Amino acid sequence: MQWVNAKSGFDEIFDPHGRPRPHYGPLLSILESFTREDVERRERLQKLALMSQGITFTVYGEKEGLERIFPFDFVPRIIPAAEWKTIQDGLVQRITTLNLFLLDIYQDQKCLTDRIVPPELILSRKEYKRELLGVIPPRKVFTHVVGTDIIRSDTGEYLVLEDNSRCPSGVSYVLENRTLLSRVFPEFFGSYPVRPIKDYPTLLLDTLLYVAPRPSQSPVVVVLSPGIHNSAYFEHSFLAREMGVPLVEGRDLLVEGNHVFMRRTHGKRQVDVIYRRIDDDFLDPLTFRRNSMLGVPGLLNVYREGNVALANAPGAGVADDKSVYAFMPELIRYYLGEEPLLPQVPTYLGCRKDDFQYIAEHLGELVVKTTGDAGGYGMLMGPFASAKEREAYLARMKKDPGNYIAQPLVELSLHPTHVNGRFEPRRVDLRPFILYGDRIRVLPGGLTRVALRAGSYVVNSSQGGGSKDTWVLAPRDA
Amino acid sequence: MILSRVADGLYWMGRYLERSEHVTRLLLVTEELATEVLGLDEELARVEWSDMRAIFPDGEPPEAQPRRLAALASASVYDLSINPGHPNSVFFSLKKARDNARTVREALTTEVFVNLNDTYREPEGQTRRQIADHATFRGALGTTHRGILSTVGAIEHTLTRDAGWLFLKLGESLERVYRSAVILRVKLPALLSPEPKIDLPLFYSRWRGLLRGLSSLENYRGAFGARMEPADVLHFLLFDPHAPRSLRYGAAAVKDYLDRVSGATELSQPARIMGKLAAELSYEDRDLIRQGACLPFLDHVLGEIGRGHDALSTLYFGT
Repeated sequence: MQWVNAKSGFDEIFDPHGRPRPHYGPLLSILESFTREDVERRERLQKLALMSQGITFTVYGEKEGLERIFPFDFVPRIIPAAEWKTIQDGLVQRITTLNLFLLDIYQDQKCLTDRIVPPELILSRKEYKRELLGVIPPRKVFTHVVGTDIIRSDTGEYLVLEDNSRCPSGVSYVLENRTLLSRVFPEFFGSYPVRPIKDYPTLLLDTLLYVAPRPSQSPVVVVLSPGIHNSAYFEHSFLAREMGVPLVEGRDLLVEGNHVFMRRTHGKRQVDVIYRRIDDDFLDPLTFRRNSMLGVPGLLNVYREGNVALANAPGAGVADDKSVYAFMPELIRYYLGEEPLLPQVPTYLGCRKDDFQYIAEHLGELVVKTTGDAGGYGMLMGPFASAKEREAYLARMKKDPGNYIAQPLVELSLHPTHVNGRFEPRRVDLRPFILYGDRIRVLPGGLTRVALRAGSYVVNSSQGGGSKDTWVLAPRDA
Repeated sequence: MILSRVADGLYWMGRYLERSEHVTRLLLVTEELATEVLGLDEELARVEWSDMRAIFPDGEPPEAQPRRLAALASASVYDLSINPGHPNSVFFSLKKARDNARTVREALTTEVFVNLNDTYREPEGQTRRQIADHATFRGALGTTHRGILSTVGAIEHTLTRDAGWLFLKLGESLERVYRSAVILRVKLPALLSPEPKIDLPLFYSRWRGLLRGLSSLENYRGAFGARMEPADVLHFLLFDPHAPRSLRYGAAAVKDYLDRVSGATELSQPARIMGKLAAELSYEDRDLIRQGACLPFLDHVLGEIGRGHDALSTLYFGT
């Protein structure tokens, strides 16, 4: 088998001298024992399994072939126990802070009064929902499910790139990738104490039941999806199936007497907890976007009355705004009195005059993002953009500076990936999933997304990305 | 009890899956029969393809059909197998069955979904290729047919017998009795013509073709032997109490599923409609055939099935 080492950036498998890192040694020995034909045959089996089971995502804006397989690379990413502990502790600290921040800004707004975060920055965000000021969700939990994107600098240091506290997706691929790899390459697992992840749906259900308004009466939990045309529909359906709860669309629910009900063939049934995979703006046409056909009229009133729990809580989206991200280290110190355990990427805010000036002058070195977008949309990769593209982008920025942030281009780590019969380095990130119920739990693993195109930094599935199974190793003495 | 939307999705999944089985089976039978009679009676081959297009219409008037037999056969094979724009093609029906399955994925087992998904992918792959030759076409269609039957088997063997299963079976059984009635309605006028214009062996071939088109040849032989008497064939296809493709059996199956859906409550409107139809089919006999009243009776059957569908859609799906 042929291996190509990374020329720049942190190589996850090989050290700078080209030697495999110790935790990858056994895996490399196993891979070396395969013939090329054997690997190709197994890859074909893997693709067939993905097609058969309909493990797909939907790409918007394409007339044909709306459904696509999320490409899977069989070389797993391995994270040693000690490294994972750092990530896990850092995530618990971060999600605790995010939740305290949300409680604060929808209640006393102390962090705004104390000028930890500029009030105008928060209050001007469209994700900040004034309608919900003073509305505290059941058990004071806003962020039941968070997916935090982590990258590694060229020294191998883990850095938080962004938090996703609205409707983070990808966990279904985490679970399916593990199943797929164990079926197609069972030999890999014999040499490693890989921590299991398959209990995620049970933990998710526990998290949702924890916030049920009627805990003693067999609460009814549902997953609310925009429907089959949503890019993450496979995941919505997968999670409902795995949790054994109904998958509903807005048209399946109705509000009567300040309670939410499901429409069934033989009458209605009250709903207690809604794991909603619909953005705030579409949840309730009577409160937010009036033309939304996806939500449930009157739902927010029921939520205000405490008769239904919504996960994540409405209004939580402001916590993953890319401007708020810039203030996370300060917020951790403010709420917890601790130093951040996980560093993050330096961020320049378009709303700050000095920062904007810096962004404008260094556009060719920076990655610029719109604060409200996700999935790699609305982004400018300064170092790879033409002068004309940068100029046009800057013109747009000047119209609404507060809508942009910029970060230096961080060289993502690279992981050998099977491409055209050999193992070539491709850039990767990591999205661990965190559940906030009776306590905070971090799923030991996560979605490793990989930029399959040579030289690309974009790992998003919608733009040519794939994924890998992510192994977190149990401690040796466990 | 299940969500109305989920019941709706399962019902239509059942209907489209059953429809895909019908069109696949009839394409195989028609292609074989048309090939068999081609050298003997070209007009008969043409009628077979025209009937096929009438059973599975696309909204085009018959005059718009190709005039040359070879062109008619090719167009029919393409339209009814892999034409994604034809509302009754195998591909379209499987796509709709799968689309519905995707919307109710959480109500299905992995075995059901994987079988259906794989079966759909076969003609989907063909839509990107040309139909090479008839042998290849028959092979591919045979594979699809086995895939459909395998999906039906997965439904039987892996789905729990809950309300969702009942709605799926309701869709399947209603589509089956409806489509069987349509096939009879289209085929019978020529078959019952008082003076057959074709040779006797060919005449019997067509009756045999009708039975094969309704998966009933072996079952008919089991009941009446190898002798092909039109009155016996008709009696069998209309009134046999045990043959799964007879109208009597089909209407009774729909009634049975409707009763089980509504439970012990009062008789629902769709159950009332289908119950009356099942009773009519139970008490009708050879007199109807002797009196030559089959065609008006089939029109009546089709009308009642349509009313039954409308009533159950209103009651359970809110549509």
